[in-house]
Amino acid sequence: MFSSLFVFRGRASPMVEFAVSVAAAVLVVALWELAARAGIIAPQFLPSPSRVVIALWTMLTEQNLLWHVAVSTTRVWIAFLLAAIMAIPIGIMMSSYRIVGAALEPMIDFIRYLPVPALVPLSIIWFGVGEETKIFLLWLGTFFQLVLLVADDMRRVPQEFVEVARTVGANSRQVMIDVALRWMGPTLLDNLRITLGWCWTYLIIAEIVAADSGIGYVIWTARRFVKTPEVMAGVVVIGLIGLVTDQLLRLLHRRLFRYL
Amino acid sequence: MTGYVQFVDTAKSFGPVDVVRKTSLGLDRNSLVVFLGPSGCGKTTLMRMVGGLDEPSSGSILLGGEKVVRPDRRRGMVFQSYSSFPWLTVKDNIAFGMRYRKDLGATERAERISHYLKLFGLADFADSYPNRISGGMRQRVAIARTLAAGSDVLLMDEPFGALDALTRERLQVELRQIQIREEKTIIFVTHDVEEAVFLADRIILFSRRPASIVADIDVAAELGPDRPLEIRETQKFFELRNKVLHLIRNETGVAV
Repeated sequence: MFSSLFVFRGRASPMVEFAVSVAAAVLVVALWELAARAGIIAPQFLPSPSRVVIALWTMLTEQNLLWHVAVSTTRVWIAFLLAAIMAIPIGIMMSSYRIVGAALEPMIDFIRYLPVPALVPLSIIWFGVGEETKIFLLWLGTFFQLVLLVADDMRRVPQEFVEVARTVGANSRQVMIDVALRWMGPTLLDNLRITLGWCWTYLIIAEIVAADSGIGYVIWTARRFVKTPEVMAGVVVIGLIGLVTDQLLRLLHRRLFRYL
Repeated sequence: MTGYVQFVDTAKSFGPVDVVRKTSLGLDRNSLVVFLGPSGCGKTTLMRMVGGLDEPSSGSILLGGEKVVRPDRRRGMVFQSYSSFPWLTVKDNIAFGMRYRKDLGATERAERISHYLKLFGLADFADSYPNRISGGMRQRVAIARTLAAGSDVLLMDEPFGALDALTRERLQVELRQIQIREEKTIIFVTHDVEEAVFLADRIILFSRRPASIVADIDVAAELGPDRPLEIRETQKFFELRNKVLHLIRNETGVAV
């Protein structure tokens, strides 16, 4: 049953893989608990998982953590959807029309290497310290990466598919909608899933800018008072949200693209 | 020069590289013409120009007396790689050929799909996705889709190149039968001499790049229109195959 796990490029049943995933997580947590209880690392640097769970419970019941989660999730999704709505057509146009590609690609390549934290002062000058700045910073971390991924997806649409469509009478718009977008669907959803993850990684940067809500704010405030269990609980919450979102998007992928 | 498909002083170059020398050629309607030549000689480029996918650098191509300027459904392409759309079932892939035809009603579309599913032996796989069927079936789907579109001329670029020998033989027999039954004009590109002799009414043999015609062989006059599989074992077939091979060696100076 488990032997296939040790075969080079072997295949295992989903149940076996799930069991291994759970066991690995339990093992890591158990080792962490042991290390913390043994006093190998000082608790202000690495509190035990049990203390993190207690802190998480307190944050949920007494510090309105769910509200902060909702605020952060809303910010991330607004920024991510804005990035997707803009990046998908621009990426497609960049690969479809050389004039768009030649004009935008060098600029986007330049901007995507700029570190988001370095743009925090500029975003405050532009947008102030309200929601716009937070959403802008999250958008910034996602849009430029996504646009290049979409352009790559579009570039990989097999030329034969385009030519087949053209020889049965499709015009450019029909080729785009009926062939290119359909072919891109699975990789596009994969790339959206990956960039949504990246968007969450910029949350702390976005929510330390004069924020009074959100998981980033909670983590940053706890850090100020060296409440390490609360800091770790905040980080765990972000990880859990990421895990659940990822699994839901994978499920959607399987449902939408049954033909794969 | 006469013919349903006409190359009129057609030449093609990509930048400084000449791919096709000035060529004049007429191809009859309802015939299966094989373009044979060494790999990379420019025969596919010639065929793509008939499809309107590449433009001649000079000269022109006429279809029924009308100049070819862009792709349209009267000239359908079948590629070597499996070009069935993976997100559509076999039935929907065939239907895709008629997607942009405004002259067909729902009933007629359904009848055509059913006709081609039966003609190509795909009825049992109508609701299967391409990744669930064999390579041979995928190529049948691609040919059926092109015919369903109402293509008069089929442009086939080494369509059986990726198939195993037995499937390839079976599809060659089927293609001959379908070409006669459906009365289509087919331009078939290959570098396989045996496939060329078996399929062709006429073989146009091309030189190395830049392509120019080195021989025009009337295969139908030698082998007739019916091509059962057994014809490959006849003396006539051997002689014709050897003749073509000699021509290639003499005229092009390379193995195919």
